[in-house]
Order: sequence, then C-alpha cells, then structure tokens
Amino acid sequence: MMRRLFVLFSFELKKILARKKAVLFLLALNVVPILASIAAMLAYLKMRSLGLGSLEYSALVEMVQALFTAHMKLFAWISPFFLALVVGDSISGEAGRGHLKTLLLTPVSRAQVVFAKAAAILVFLLIAVALGGLFLQIDLWVAHSMSQSGAIIMDARETGAVLADSTVMARLLTISFMANLAMVGYFVLTALFFETPILMAFVSLIILMTMQTYVMMVPYLAKLDDSYARWLPWCFTRHLSELTELKTIYGVLKQSMTLTSTEIWGPLMGSLGWAAAFFAVALAVFRRRQILS
Amino acid sequence: MNSTIPPDAPQAPSPTPAIRVTDLSKRFGRVRAVDGMSFTIPTGSVCGFLGSNGAGKTTTLRLLLGLARPDEGEMELLGRPMPASRTEALERTGTLVEKPSFIEHFTGFENLWWFGSLTAPLTRERVGEALELVGLSDAAHKPFGIYSTGMKQRLGVAGAILHHPSLLLLDEPTNGMDPQGRAQMRDILRDIHTREKTTIFLSSHLLDEVQRLCDYVVIVDHGRTVRQGFVSELLNDGHETWELRLPAEDLSRAIEVLKALPAVLGINPVPRGLEVSLSHGVSHEINQALVGAGIRISALIPREASLEATFLALTDTEPGADKS
Repeated sequence: MMRRLFVLFSFELKKILARKKAVLFLLALNVVPILASIAAMLAYLKMRSLGLGSLEYSALVEMVQALFTAHMKLFAWISPFFLALVVGDSISGEAGRGHLKTLLLTPVSRAQVVFAKAAAILVFLLIAVALGGLFLQIDLWVAHSMSQSGAIIMDARETGAVLADSTVMARLLTISFMANLAMVGYFVLTALFFETPILMAFVSLIILMTMQTYVMMVPYLAKLDDSYARWLPWCFTRHLSELTELKTIYGVLKQSMTLTSTEIWGPLMGSLGWAAAFFAVALAVFRRRQILS
Repeated sequence: MNSTIPPDAPQAPSPTPAIRVTDLSKRFGRVRAVDGMSFTIPTGSVCGFLGSNGAGKTTTLRLLLGLARPDEGEMELLGRPMPASRTEALERTGTLVEKPSFIEHFTGFENLWWFGSLTAPLTRERVGEALELVGLSDAAHKPFGIYSTGMKQRLGVAGAILHHPSLLLLDEPTNGMDPQGRAQMRDILRDIHTREKTTIFLSSHLLDEVQRLCDYVVIVDHGRTVRQGFVSELLNDGHETWELRLPAEDLSRAIEVLKALPAVLGINPVPRGLEVSLSHGVSHEINQALVGAGIRISALIPREASLEATFLALTDTEPGADKS
C-alpha cells in the first residue's frame, strides 16, 4: 500500500519533470532571482577587479531588495497560471490521452491517484520556490562577501542577515506551502471536469480572477450596500492574498511576525481548511468519475 | 477447430469461474449499452467475447474493471466481487482495454517499468523478457509516441502479461495488426495459456481469429448475451451443411426430390448448385435419392461449420456491416 503510493508519487513527479515544459516552468517562475544573481555576480566581479566605492555597494543591495520584492509579487501573481497548466496536464491531459485509464487498470485506488498527483505537483512547486530561494541566497552571499572584503557598512538588515536564517526560510516555505496547497486543491478539483488542459486552465483561471477581482471590489461595494459583501466568505483567494501579501512576507522575514501571530494564523488556517475541502470534494468527484476514453 | 488447447482442460471442475457477470446493465443517456448481460467464463479457458461494433463489448470490459459503474447487476473477477475488491482482483489480472494508452514521451521500457511497478515490484529482466516475447526488444528504448499501431498494441499485451496474471482481459488485442502480427499474437497467447494456465478473455469481432484461438465463446448483441458455450458444442448443433454441384437444368427436379426427404432441413440455391442442411450423418441417403432420380450430381462438398455462420445467425447484423 505505502510502496504503491510511493511508486505512484515518483511516477507522477517523473512525468512532470520529464517534460521539456517543466524546465521552462521553473525558469519562467524564477526569471527575477536568476537575473538578480547574474547581476550580483557581475557586480562582484567588477568590484574585485576595479575596487568600487561604497555608494555602488549600497546601490547593489537596494537592487537586490527591489528585485526580491518584485519576485515575491510576480511569483504570487503568475504561479497560479503555471500551476493551472501543470495540474491541467497531469489530470485533464491524462484523462484526454487515456493515461488515466491505463493508470486505473493497475491496482491503485483512486484516492491514491489524487494524492500522488497532488503531492507531485506540490513538490514541483516547492522546487520552483526553493530554486528562487537558492538564487536569492546566492545574491546574499555575494552581498555579504562584498561587505566583508570592502569593509563597507551595508544596510543589509532588511534582506541579508535574516533571509539567511533557516528558520525564517522554513516559515516562508510553510506560508508558500499552505497557499499552494489550497490552490492545488482548487485546480485538482476543476481539472476533474475537463479532458483538455488548456480548456481547464482557462476556465479555472477565469473563475479565480473573477473571485479575486470581487475580493478587491468588496471594500468599496460594502460602502454602498453591506449585502454586496455576502459572497466574501466563499472566496478562498482572499486567504491566499493575505498570506502572500508583502507585508506578511516582510513581517516574517524581519521576525516581527511569527506563524502563530494572529495576522498570519487566520489566513494559514483558512487556506488549510479550503485545501481540505477542495481535496475532499475532488476525491468524491473522482471516485464517481467514469473513465470512458 | 485449430485450437491447440486440449478439449478437456476447461471442463475440469472449478469452484470459482474466472469471470461471472449477472444481469449487468448500463445506460449512457438514452442508449442502453449493456442490457441485462449475463455470462460465466470457466477458469482455464480461452474465451472469445464476440459481438458487432457497438454490441457492448468494451463497455462490459470497462464495467468489469471498475472504470465505469454499472446501473444494475453483479460482477465477479476471479471469484472477487467487482468493483468492491477491485485492487485484489486487478493484482492478478492483466488488462488491455481499447487502444493501449501509454505515456508518449516515455520509452516502451519505461512505460512497462512504471505502470508495471504499480502492480508489484519488477525486475529489469522481467520487463526485457515481456518485451522480447512480443517482439519489441529492438524498439524497447524508443519513445512510445513513435510506435506503429501494431507495436503499440503489442506493448499493451506485454504490459498485460508482465506479472504472470491468472486472468488476461484483452480488448481486441490484434486491432490494427498485419496478418503476421496477428498470427504471432495468437502464438503468444496460446503459449501463455499452455505454460501458465492463464484464463484468457478476449473481445473481438474477427470471427476466424476467435475460432482459431478460443475454446469458449460468449456472443453478445445489443447489450445482451445471445449465446455462450464451448466452441465445439456451439458448432455441433446436430446439423450439417453440404453443397451440391449440379447442372442448371436439373435444379428444379433436385429441389423436388430433396423436399420429399425428411432428413433435409433446408435448401438454399447457390451459384452452380444448392446448399442443403441436413440432420447429422444422412448425407449418403441424399446422394442415393438424387442419383436414383437421375440427377447428374458433379460434386457433394461438405461445408465446415463456422463460427461466422453461427454468429450471423444469432445476431441480426447484416453481412459486411462488420468490418475490422
């Protein structure tokens, strides 16, 4: 049973990673940190050869900070689009091409299939997140060594020292894991109703964007009429945006906010609840699903 | 019958049939794909599941394997209720439903390895063996996407036999294969049957193929079982058919003579003569009577009973409508 689940998980992960698309996804999601690292390395090499002054160093630190912020924003915004495509490929695509049939003719249970697929997709996403983190770490290492060699006082308190802390990284990963878990659950559920990944991606993203637009409109609409806000509790995206808000991320980075502090605990538990609900419904739907292609 | 299977093998008393289906029904919207189908497949047999296109063969296989849910009816695979004991039953069953769908960008070997490992731990040797058995050793490390239809089909069969199953469920295993490929596939299946005592259940609409390979048949039409039984019994219905060749001018007189004989069950005009169906073992009387009446018979040709004739008689499919 556990062996089968493990084989299934490895198989799913291999299917995702064996595609050329996978490498492009990882690159696309991490364009900013990769470019930032290249820029930092270039600056480092330039400094080693020319020995530039303090002004340029702080400019570099500012650049890394700006890019870090940009990366967080971009990642939070574009990762759902990539995620929809990965989930679409793994579930809708496989249903359409008949791979799901071949899979379900082996003695694996449908619950195992759902969990193995979700786990593989999550691991893939965590690889993407960790890859960005890795490149940001390289930036910080460069900034550190520059500040040491040049004996320049760097304003590295905001990004540098704290980012390198592994417990802070673990917290960031927890936030990103929870936000992605709910998102994966949502996409897995929608993917079960489609047999082409592109169609699934479009429909699920339209729903997602509509929901998010509504969440953004609610504070203004509520001023007109309270009842306009009545659908807000059903919008799971609001927890996700609270979790991935830069204020939250910075709070965690600066250690002024911990995972149990109320500002973050609510969205964290909210996302977990939504994730559980999505997976429960997905499982019920998949159990009843007839494989006819 | 060209079957190499000893005729007494399937008759051996077996407490649990390999497959048992009782009153199975399945609708898709307003279409009754399967409509009260029942059949029992004895363990150790090679069974042909015959029916025209759209008779409900593939749907029945999907229901049997838990891919779709029946509206009514009970099913057992290797004595286990389906779909309740799906996992246990599928561990001992090799399957190929419709066209084999493997991962296109994985090689044949990788596909067998990964899908096979989900049933039970595998060795590389076993995967190689299965690939060799179906003649795909050379293509083992090419991506499945570039395989020809016949190769895909053979990989599907290799996947089905990977774990030495007790039961093989194959949906049109020779679909899209050339005549050599078909003959080879028959040899593979016969070989597995004799060596591993595997019960084989294969759906097909290629009647001569089923007649060459199977010792048991289930014939379905419009979602119902119309006949099931051992091929030898099915073909031996106490009748025999002979073709009489005679000059055209004797034709009407011959018909008169034949109609007077109680042993004659039916007369059909055919080119250059008549086709006569008779009770078993009375052909000499017919000959005597016709010669006695002065009819110049040039030939008396036995018509071997064929599954095709039985099938066409049992199903109301028009000849020629069922092409592979």
